Amino acid sequence: MAMLTFERLTKRRRTKHILSEVTFQARPGRITGFLGPNGAGKTSTLRILLGLDRATSGTALVDGRPYRTLRDPARKVGALLDGSGAHRSRTGRAHLRWVARSAGIDAARVEDVLELVGIAEAAGSRVATYSLGMGQRLGLATALLGDPEMLVLDEPVNGLDPDGIRWIRGFLRDQADAGRTVLLSSHLIGELSETVDDVVVIRAGKIVANGPLADVTTGYRNLEDAFFAAIGQRSADR
Amino acid sequence: MRTVRAELSKLASLPAFWFACVVGVLVPTGIVLLAGRAAPRVDDGYQELAVGVLGAIVLGVIAMSSEYTSEGAESAGGRQINTTLTAVPTRGRLFLAKALVVGSTSFVLAILATTAVFSVLRLSQGVGVLALTGDDLARMGGVIAYWVLMSLLGYGLTAFTRSGIIPLAVLLVNSSTVSVSYLLTKATPLANYLPDLAGMRMFSRDLATDVELSPLLGGAVMAVWVAGLLIVAKLVFARRDA
Repeated sequence: MAMLTFERLTKRRRTKHILSEVTFQARPGRITGFLGPNGAGKTSTLRILLGLDRATSGTALVDGRPYRTLRDPARKVGALLDGSGAHRSRTGRAHLRWVARSAGIDAARVEDVLELVGIAEAAGSRVATYSLGMGQRLGLATALLGDPEMLVLDEPVNGLDPDGIRWIRGFLRDQADAGRTVLLSSHLIGELSETVDDVVVIRAGKIVANGPLADVTTGYRNLEDAFFAAIGQRSADR
Repeated sequence: MRTVRAELSKLASLPAFWFACVVGVLVPTGIVLLAGRAAPRVDDGYQELAVGVLGAIVLGVIAMSSEYTSEGAESAGGRQINTTLTAVPTRGRLFLAKALVVGSTSFVLAILATTAVFSVLRLSQGVGVLALTGDDLARMGGVIAYWVLMSLLGYGLTAFTRSGIIPLAVLLVNSSTVSVSYLLTKATPLANYLPDLAGMRMFSRDLATDVELSPLLGGAVMAVWVAGLLIVAKLVFARRDA
């Protein structure tokens, strides 16, 4: 099962508590929205999952295994973190080429994903010339290279124009419908309410709401109200 | 192996890499040309290559520092290292693959630079380009080894700092304008065992210092420094939050 499992994940930096006992799951066939204000710990949680940062305690597992022990990570998990993840002076195509090479993916796939995310025409230009939205699309193309079973996307709609946001919504829906696991973080609540199946809300490093969209929004007008109730006062937890 | 190939294509697609290569060949050759026809001295060519090593240093430094270059003001803090480590999460293997690429590209660069410098030098001095003695070959091997080790030194240092500025400042100033290591020998003979100065024994026959190291011992001292640095750098690289 293509499952992402976070179990009592805790991260401290010196005396600062970044994450406290973060526990939730992202399941196959569903889009899990990981919501919270800026600085709440969304990126930290995803970075630990991807083996970029270490947890102080607790676990974040991909199919029951730490990311760092995956044999072929690019085919298992496609990851998008802040920005394109490419060096400014390389072209978009050259960036995707080395990623493909390091993951043992055929170079032809590079052209496919460029086409898929709609930046094929800019593929020969240096990343430094890309707009924020194009950089985001390049990052997404990188995530999709290995045709992965799971997608972990940090703020994927950041910098996308309305057209791009609409496209990514549809794309992620298709991915989930095909049985894949999609975990995406966002601080933009409105953009997400129509897209996600499950909602996890984090505030100051703690999970304050977690469940299917319908459950989390019960008693509220919409996801936005539920979100503000959850992060506003902890008593609104349930 | 695919990690090595990926790192190679990563380095080769950086404009700064080609800049480093051009510098590494053109700077020492240019100095030879500009110096013109003086009376031959024992370190002719080698002195110029000891400056040209900055090409190899830049190569080693950017191989690591380019991972940490910020993408710019628009995308907050996105860096290539995120992509690199999600593609290859086994960091020890990645670090070694990069080191291998740095070492082998600077090896090729050093051969090119040495060939260029001595071709120009010998043509200008009217000596046969291919009239090489065993000692010439040993010293050329020494200067090539020096370049490779200096590039790895730059690579290892940058793994600590994650930015090229400090390693470049330290290593470039030291190898081009005033050799701080050399000045230190005036204060303490121990400075002769600093990596750059010890490594120069591999090719230079004209280092005016009190302590004399044989070329082999000098090379060994430098190699131990570099190996030690790489071992610690690899540990730090593997353990620290990216």
